[in-house]
Amino acid sequence: MKMLKFLFTAVLALALTWGLNQKWGSAPPMGKFLDPFQGFWKNAESKNTATENTLSLDGLNNGVSVQFDDQRIPHIFAENNHDLYFTQGYLTAKDRLWQMDFQTRFASGRLAEVIGPKAIEIDRFQRRMGMGFGAENMVKTMMKDPEVAELMNAYAEGVNAYIHSLKPGDYPIEFKLLDYAPEEWTPINSAYLLKLMSATLASSSNEFYMTNILKKYGPDVVKDLFPDYPYREDPIIPSGTAWNFKKVPVPSATTTTEPTATTGIKTKEKDEVIGSNNWAVSGSKTSTGLPMLENDPHLDLTLPSIWYQVQLVTKDMNVYGVSIPGAPGVIIGFNSKVAWGVTNVGSDVLDWYKISFKDQSHKEYLYNNQWKAVKPRIETIKVRGDETISDTVFYTHHGPVVYLENQKPKNFSKADNIPAGYALRWIAHDGSNDVKAFYMLNKASNYADYRKALTYYTAPAQNFIFASMDNDIAITPNGYFPLKWKGQGKFLLDGNNPNDEWHGRIPADQNPTVKNPPRGFVSSANQFSTDPSYPYYLHWEFAGYERAHRINKRLAVMTKATADSLRNLQNDNYSVFAENVLANLNASVNTQKLNAAEKKAFEVVIKWNKFYNATEMGASIFEIWQKQLNKEIWADEFGDQQNLMRYPSRDRTVELLLNEPNSKWFDKVNTPQKESKNDVVTAAFKFAVDSLTRAYGPQNDQWQWGMVKHTHVPHLAKIAGFGSKTLFNGGSKTSVNATSESNGPSWRMIVALGKDLKAYGVYPGGESGNPGSFYYDDMVNTWSEGKLNELVYLRNTKQASDRIIATWKFTKK
Amino acid sequence: MLFILILLISLIAQFFLPWWVIAPIAFILAAWMGNKPSKSFGNGFSAIFILWACMALLHTLPNENLLANRVGQVLTSSEKGMPWLLLVLLTATLGGLVAGVSALAGAYFKEAFGKRRR
Repeated sequence: MKMLKFLFTAVLALALTWGLNQKWGSAPPMGKFLDPFQGFWKNAESKNTATENTLSLDGLNNGVSVQFDDQRIPHIFAENNHDLYFTQGYLTAKDRLWQMDFQTRFASGRLAEVIGPKAIEIDRFQRRMGMGFGAENMVKTMMKDPEVAELMNAYAEGVNAYIHSLKPGDYPIEFKLLDYAPEEWTPINSAYLLKLMSATLASSSNEFYMTNILKKYGPDVVKDLFPDYPYREDPIIPSGTAWNFKKVPVPSATTTTEPTATTGIKTKEKDEVIGSNNWAVSGSKTSTGLPMLENDPHLDLTLPSIWYQVQLVTKDMNVYGVSIPGAPGVIIGFNSKVAWGVTNVGSDVLDWYKISFKDQSHKEYLYNNQWKAVKPRIETIKVRGDETISDTVFYTHHGPVVYLENQKPKNFSKADNIPAGYALRWIAHDGSNDVKAFYMLNKASNYADYRKALTYYTAPAQNFIFASMDNDIAITPNGYFPLKWKGQGKFLLDGNNPNDEWHGRIPADQNPTVKNPPRGFVSSANQFSTDPSYPYYLHWEFAGYERAHRINKRLAVMTKATADSLRNLQNDNYSVFAENVLANLNASVNTQKLNAAEKKAFEVVIKWNKFYNATEMGASIFEIWQKQLNKEIWADEFGDQQNLMRYPSRDRTVELLLNEPNSKWFDKVNTPQKESKNDVVTAAFKFAVDSLTRAYGPQNDQWQWGMVKHTHVPHLAKIAGFGSKTLFNGGSKTSVNATSESNGPSWRMIVALGKDLKAYGVYPGGESGNPGSFYYDDMVNTWSEGKLNELVYLRNTKQASDRIIATWKFTKK
Repeated sequence: MLFILILLISLIAQFFLPWWVIAPIAFILAAWMGNKPSKSFGNGFSAIFILWACMALLHTLPNENLLANRVGQVLTSSEKGMPWLLLVLLTATLGGLVAGVSALAGAYFKEAFGKRRR
């Protein structure tokens, strides 16, 4: 009996201990996780952190001094490049290790290794898109450049020095929740993170949809509804800017091909995710007499913050700005002589080529009417708690065939726009040395340095804006732009035809650029780079002109600008789109068909000032109204679920609404009666009122735009509780302040150059990546309110600042 | 005595060893010097309950319970989460249970084998 009691309790004790040390589904191992010695409690940081600290590290050549300001932003003073980037790596890892690990895993298709079978499809996708192929090519190119190799290696050493100092109890909390351990950092991880930028910003592709539209409606409709230049535009390079170069010959277009697209996959209308702005104002228009520069790159927002602020100082450099956690140097920032920033260029750097394989073995494919060998690449995907998967991807000289016929996964939205049986030609696959461009910008002191730095930059193409103490301002849509015939890549291309390939590149020094234009400012907001006078083809479609137009209009009349007037423009919620269509739509509403509640809402929208301010109800009504109207007009003709298509642009829709009230496109082809423009405008309005009423009750304060939009910043792995609370703020996709639900300005910066340089910045997060730190989200409210923090720019180690709260010494071991 | 020893030895061991070390510690100590099984359970449970509660408080109070509140939301997958003190109690109870049951098994081990050897 005593024996039995013992056995029973012993088994119980073992089972309990074992069970609490195991991961159950997505839940962490509870014993391990709750253990207050090494579990999550240990990640709870005290409000009072050490003000002085000395660390002795292997791998440093000399001593390094680091000052932390009141937002825990490190200001690193080193004696040489190696020690500088080593320390940048170390400190970035200290604050952001899990984010660096997770993003690298995401980019390289290694998530299933840690989160199991549910990540297999996304892993397979990243690998099939050639992320590994691209990152490997990038590392090869970078390592050939000794200066860049030193930077990359030193950064990796610093990250590893930090990783090696950790015991399991010190791991960031997400490692404990997901129950895995950090691994050694190598330079290819940095390459993956840079390639991820291309995946985010330069991987959109419409040619699959466009080809289906061409097949269904013919070239005339395509020309009418999907024109190669918009109805309204305000290009980045002001019209009239001269092109001072000798144009290289552009190949003539292929006319015969009309490749067949595949069918049978569902799609959905992708929301506009871009919204970045930048501008630089010449000293002639500022209060200081020297240039001021602004930049706010928009991305899908996440916590930990996408960017990591840092100041990097050596004898011949003193730069401040934001870095990518996981890559050396500063991406957007300033030094004592220059400031620069970036927004995305929507140029077409991704094309699809129809591949004819000789047979089912996929060993050869047709190119220029000859058989050419396929290079298979085997991707090995490890899966936590399951068997390892081996996946063969067939590479042509164009690039990988992302999915063979019948290989495309169902219900996987990332693959929607990918035509099966086509090879991918993508700039992100090319070796590139983009880090060099940023390194040179970090050290730049004038316009010539800026121009030289840009020649090293490949992708994702950016509008590099620039201002200097010499009172120069400039902007250059820059990157590797393939030399193409007009419209090449608007539709799917033929992998057999050499004329459909990229014909080299537009010479780097012929990329569009402008310096000190007469209007006294330069700006960009993702719109067309140039007007049609530019002799080369970049793309047939860019983001709408509305934000750019508003920026240019306000900058044109600005005089004696201060940092605060630029901040004010940053937060401008006015919608040029609403200005363009609201009066027209209001006049098209058949008020006799409205009930009492709808009439009341109509009164609101008539009185609306066209600002998407948080408190405006009119903005909520208009937003849902115009979205629904877009569907009412186009869904019947372009929403086919068999032959996937896309809708015409907002620009074309505006033109239709204003100039073509009797257009056939207003009629819904799937109803017996004939709908007029007024019918669909009225129906969409009723829909908007109805959906607001359903969601928030009859008209009340809950209808305010800030309530309806509910902006928030989710956690990178969507862990509930680690995201921000819901914020109450304004903005829209067609306002300068292009903040939507969880997409918006990932960094806002204003620099007023001068002997007494002043810079301001904020991101929706904080310096620390630890949800248990007071510095995890301490900037979120400032950001949401449209305010900025003054940035601490130290000229040297001795400069006293009452905002420095801690000083650390790093010494050689 | 059993209570004090489990608490002290676990306190030291936990700085170096994984959390489950509390199970063998409670077991061995109870098998060696435990008396009545129910009392051994009580000693094991309360020792680790108090140790873990104190350690959790030591981390969470200077943190103003910021992380505990966030983790409460994670574990309940709801925005409401749970009061941070509940999470401390949950932590302490879980640790206490492991140590208590292990001590119980240790006491029964002593009853089953101890006397025969004497």
